Amino acid sequence: MTHWTPRPAASPTPAARRARVIFAGIGLAVSALASPRAVPAQTESARTSFVVATGDEATVPIPTLLEGGSVANRDVADQLFARLGQLGPTLITSGDRAFEPLLARSWTRRDSVTLAFDLDPRATWHDGKPVTAEDVVFTFRRARDPAVSPGLANLLRRIVSVTAEGGRKVVFRYTEPYGEQLYDAVFHVAPLPAHLLASIPAESLAYAAYVQAPVGSGPYRWVRRVPGEFVELAANERFFLGAPAVRRVIFRKAVDGAARLNMLLAGEADATENIPAPPSNVARVSADKNLRVIPVPSPTLGYLLFNQRDSRDRNRPHPTLSDRDVRRAIGLALDRRLMVRAVLGNAGEVPYGPAPTTLWIRYGTPAAAPMNLREARRLLDSRGWTDHDGDGVREREGRPLTLSLIVPTSSPIRLQMAQMAQEQLRAVGVRLVLDQMDFRVYLERRDAGAFDVDFASTSLDPSPSGLGQGWSCQGLTNVARYCDPAVDSLIDAAIRTREGAGPAWHAVLRRIEDDAPAVFMYTLNYMYAVNRRFTNVRIRPESPWLGLREWTVGPQGARRPAGD
Amino acid sequence: MRRWLLRRALQSLVTLAVALVILFLLMHVLPGDPLSRVGEGRPLTLEQMQALRDRYGLDRPLVEQLWSFVVGLVHGDLGVSIEYARPVTGLVFERLPATLLLGGTVLLLNFTVGLWLGVRQAVRKDSPEDRWLTTLSLAGYATPSFWLGLVLAWLVGVHWRLLPPAGMRNPLLDAGGLAAVADVARHLVLPAITLSVVSIAGTMRYQRSAMLEALRFPYILTARAKGLTERQVLWHGWRNALFPVLTLFGLWLPILVSGSVFVESVFAWPGLGSLAAAAVGNRDYPLLMGAAILVAGMVILAGFLTDVAYALLDPRVRYS
Amino acid sequence: MAEDGALRAAWRTPRGRAGLGFLTFLCLLALLGPRLLPDPFRQFGIVELQSARPSAEHPFGTDQLSRDVLSRVVTGARVSLAVAAIAVALSATLGAAVGLVAGYLGGAVDAVLMRLVDGALAVPRLFLLMLVLAVPTRVPLLALILLIGATGWFGTSRMIRAEVLRLREETYVRAAEALGASRRRIIFRHLLVNTTGPLLVAATLGVGDVILLEAGLSFLGLGVQPPTPSWGGMIFDARPVLESAPWVGIFPGVMITLTVLATNLVGDALRDALDPRGA
Repeated sequence: MTHWTPRPAASPTPAARRARVIFAGIGLAVSALASPRAVPAQTESARTSFVVATGDEATVPIPTLLEGGSVANRDVADQLFARLGQLGPTLITSGDRAFEPLLARSWTRRDSVTLAFDLDPRATWHDGKPVTAEDVVFTFRRARDPAVSPGLANLLRRIVSVTAEGGRKVVFRYTEPYGEQLYDAVFHVAPLPAHLLASIPAESLAYAAYVQAPVGSGPYRWVRRVPGEFVELAANERFFLGAPAVRRVIFRKAVDGAARLNMLLAGEADATENIPAPPSNVARVSADKNLRVIPVPSPTLGYLLFNQRDSRDRNRPHPTLSDRDVRRAIGLALDRRLMVRAVLGNAGEVPYGPAPTTLWIRYGTPAAAPMNLREARRLLDSRGWTDHDGDGVREREGRPLTLSLIVPTSSPIRLQMAQMAQEQLRAVGVRLVLDQMDFRVYLERRDAGAFDVDFASTSLDPSPSGLGQGWSCQGLTNVARYCDPAVDSLIDAAIRTREGAGPAWHAVLRRIEDDAPAVFMYTLNYMYAVNRRFTNVRIRPESPWLGLREWTVGPQGARRPAGD
Repeated sequence: MRRWLLRRALQSLVTLAVALVILFLLMHVLPGDPLSRVGEGRPLTLEQMQALRDRYGLDRPLVEQLWSFVVGLVHGDLGVSIEYARPVTGLVFERLPATLLLGGTVLLLNFTVGLWLGVRQAVRKDSPEDRWLTTLSLAGYATPSFWLGLVLAWLVGVHWRLLPPAGMRNPLLDAGGLAAVADVARHLVLPAITLSVVSIAGTMRYQRSAMLEALRFPYILTARAKGLTERQVLWHGWRNALFPVLTLFGLWLPILVSGSVFVESVFAWPGLGSLAAAAVGNRDYPLLMGAAILVAGMVILAGFLTDVAYALLDPRVRYS
Repeated sequence: MAEDGALRAAWRTPRGRAGLGFLTFLCLLALLGPRLLPDPFRQFGIVELQSARPSAEHPFGTDQLSRDVLSRVVTGARVSLAVAAIAVALSATLGAAVGLVAGYLGGAVDAVLMRLVDGALAVPRLFLLMLVLAVPTRVPLLALILLIGATGWFGTSRMIRAEVLRLREETYVRAAEALGASRRRIIFRHLLVNTTGPLLVAATLGVGDVILLEAGLSFLGLGVQPPTPSWGGMIFDARPVLESAPWVGIFPGVMITLTVLATNLVGDALRDALDPRGA
């Protein structure tokens, strides 16, 4: 077979010349697309629209009845569906007074276990039909059914019955007197339209057409959802408390924090929830003239949880950490203020007891105990932990004071603080071994109790009764098996106190601090960013965009699209 | 021809069945409870967990689950996503157009730019142009697509603010028609370039060697000796190089789909790839399975169509 | 054997030399580097040295947890190369075994095996791995490597099978059959020996694929688990600081590109050397 060598072309063939023209054409087209003029100029409708960059997309904006209770779903649902009432500015969840009316115009207490709500006669669904007591009854019937929504049914377990009296009155009856009866009726569930949903059985709700275009009673109505991209809502003109000034709300999805920040800085979004770490990003946003940084209390609480049980055999107490003085000593050896300042800057605080910035009960509590190395050493010495062999680590009965700390790699805050804690504990002769792992694996280890110390972080509801989940003997999330009957009874007493429950909850926090089941490391403020043309902005900690209907839009500070 | 077609179609179905069984076994044999993270926001009691398990049918024997899985599949029901609480079929199909748009654009670029450059290289073999195009293609092939995407998104989208760094369209755009198309096109540029760099590099290399093979045949020498113009000679050679290209089409689909998982994640392109990546992050097995099944089906279909095209072009195939 | 000559021939081309040279340098770096460089896990000066620019003390700068990027890149090289080597060895072995058996034995065995391979090939490798790795429990590194290897042999088996089908008709094989040699002897003595060439090429090119795959999996959070450094994981971690500290993400990406480029150069050179027709 002859071997043919192609001859190189001598001069540009017609084909090559044509190719060059084609390439030039493509280049022109791309640069035309890239020019700023390709972006639509700011219209009036764009000015009164509000684009939020969110981390997830809302696929099921009726979390009341389906298990998809993600943050994105809640945000959209809070615009579509009005609740009976909402938390007041103090965020107090106990008692009958600290709430603001919404769907319910007023409420009266008939006796210690009965509340009657009067619905506002002006309230209507987006399709025009009025909101009636039957809607409330229907919604609570489904929500309290453990077969339909087990999580919600658990939260509403203290409601005995929800009945209608006439078209506009709803009566709630409870199992016993306790402080958060109004909160339970108002906070967890937003009424759904019975006339549209009663005919759909609960199991097929996920497949129903209603989910694709929900009809609600809130200040915004559903427009469309572009899958994977954004959800668009439009102002409800007939909203009974006044049509919102912000005419359109768009929840735009971008999974990672860096992408959301880029959208914000590029002018493609008007706001974002928490500006992601590192703290230099906050400086970048502050430098932008069009944006305003708003600190918002967050429900996040970070703490070093001591395992009360042996990590290898949960039936036996932990050999080292079941001793309260050892736990206290570790807490006293840590300079929490320094760590918070170093890692979180101004956005963090050291909490007293397990109370994040959103929990109203933290007001009036004393300051957290400062570092006290001398006391820490004294406590350890008094419990028999001394350093016999001079290796820098204390021992007792031949066992060294070595503890393993599990940290998920998903949290840079905790990773950094863990490192600092390790250094600080070395100074008092405690050896802390860091065990970093993927978040899912971390959760498994945590649930199995396979740790000495757990650098945990939780997000608490505005209701302090959530403390029972983690700190009561039977608490569902109490993985450390911490059990102090005094705490249990103090929590019960505080829950039952109907008005002025503050001091009762302070007693709970004090007792927990005394027992030292954990070292409460940080609570932080989220840094939200909102475009300056929105005024009268109030970001609510329990649901950030709930106050959107009261915002106003100023004329100045037009949003800059990409390319300017 | 018809008998061959039938035989080939049957073969495809068998392959699909095998793929489905493999996927099903994978999902059910692996350790870990798919429902383990459902109670993350609101803790559930044991009874409530059991109710959820019954709802998803996780405690029934394996054979029974396989049977209901197949039955559901025939009816187009791929189960319900754990994270999104919606039917998987709906979720997957609503994301498909975006992936097809991106993949289609990249395939188009491959079959125009990639082919053209590969042929050009073959024709100008060992020239300086051939050399640096080869180096470029090797470098392009070696670049991780997600890294390239990140760099492009940051440089072009954020630093220089030339093109949007994420998403498929601007939600505030009110106009329809041409402006909407231009909007999507603007968002398409960066992800398409990222995915194309890697795939075109491969296509160029493949086409170059295929063209060189084709040009070696004696009939090419004959054609030149007969006095045909260079263009006509190359046209003969190219037609015969078409066959490997068809194979390429069948091969590139799985590669494009995999690449799209990264590229779509980086650019927040709302297609099947980013859905799969999100499902992985959420350990949402039904959704992941649904996506895998759809992709496997598409790959098998593409392979079948390629063979049909082959058979149409080359009669010898039909009789083998 | 042809392979020694192939390696030498590959060395002769400038591209092959560049590839082999880089790979040798990288192996040396991976072996010796960690002894000479600072600890990749150590966080220098938590607050002050976060995301510091490249300097004399930290030539590649530091990342958000103030770890030295150069050390992490070099340790990541160790991990990536080890993963790739073992996984590719497994894929090559499995692919050769199945290809040889299916190609030589033919018949029902061939049909069943090839249908299995077809079915497995229909699901993209990445999806298969995503499904398998998305379990809530911790996947040890060895399991990860074996899984990557176990999903990579399908294409190789088809290629080996095609080679075997061709070789079956060769005279010396026919002769051995006629002389009554056992099947096992034919497979090992004649067929395997003559397929090592293409196998080696496929393996070399496979290394590049595995490195890209492992990086991609780490990018999705599924691959090598932190705090063990891996190139893909480093790129993932660098996402929030791409604007303010680009060096954290740029260097790992460059390393991946160079390494895969080098393996492809070597693989190409080997293929050109083994193919008598040349390219």
